[in-house]
Amino acid sequence: MTEISKLAELRKLMQSMERTLGLEELSPVERDIYYAAEELSKDQQEVRTFGLIEHTLVESVSRPTFFRALKSLVQKGYLSQSGNANRGRYIVHAPR
Amino acid sequence: MNRWVSDTFYASLAYVVASLLTFEVLMPLQNMFFPQYPSHASLLFLPHGVRVLAAWLLGWRAIFALLPGVFLVFALIGGWDVFQTSRLLAIAIAVTTVPAVFYICKWVGWDLFPKPDRRPCWACVMGVGVVTSVLVAILTNMAFDSAPEEYIAYLIGDISGLFFLMLGLYYAFRLTERRA
Repeated sequence: MTEISKLAELRKLMQSMERTLGLEELSPVERDIYYAAEELSKDQQEVRTFGLIEHTLVESVSRPTFFRALKSLVQKGYLSQSGNANRGRYIVHAPR
Repeated sequence: MNRWVSDTFYASLAYVVASLLTFEVLMPLQNMFFPQYPSHASLLFLPHGVRVLAAWLLGWRAIFALLPGVFLVFALIGGWDVFQTSRLLAIAIAVTTVPAVFYICKWVGWDLFPKPDRRPCWACVMGVGVVTSVLVAILTNMAFDSAPEEYIAYLIGDISGLFFLMLGLYYAFRLTERRA
């Protein structure tokens, strides 16, 4: 095992600890939305709300939960509303 | 060969740093806040965490990787007494017990060693840490012929040391990722 793969294994172990102890910064829904947004943002700079709602990772999430999680992601800085006049568009940011 | 050298360097360095932190920072704090506590054992023994994580990552090579660090720490604490039979026995116990328990687990069909295609089980590694802590406490107390109350102190110190070392590592990873 190389040095970098040892570090990766340690990081994986810490992720397992994170899950067990509930130290995760994002809730499961928030994480799914963020993953979906990240995937969609590979094709376009901005991500549209309805594109996110239709994403396979998010489609089973209820509307109120989806919008609550979306708002929380904006507050945590993972997403920000696009400066364009058109609302419902978001820019994806790397985790801080 | 290079890998052996770097494994030994990092594992021993981690052991020495964890020991210095335990003996120079945490124990004085423990004595300050719990002056009535009779035992000389640390209630937060971080080196146990280094032993467990090194054995989990390196397998049997952890024995040799940790040996210089463990020897150095024993020499720093006990001086020339490090060559006494009881101390040498304690060094051997400190470096061999954790890898032995991981290999016994593997032998009975519970392979906990890291694999690229597998999610590691944090709770299982913690479990091995607890079992080895019990074993190390019993064996070390036999080697040093210590009082029974020391067993409990060693146990508490090892288990909390492993937990807080992992928690520290977790926050160190998070901080590094945020800065990156």
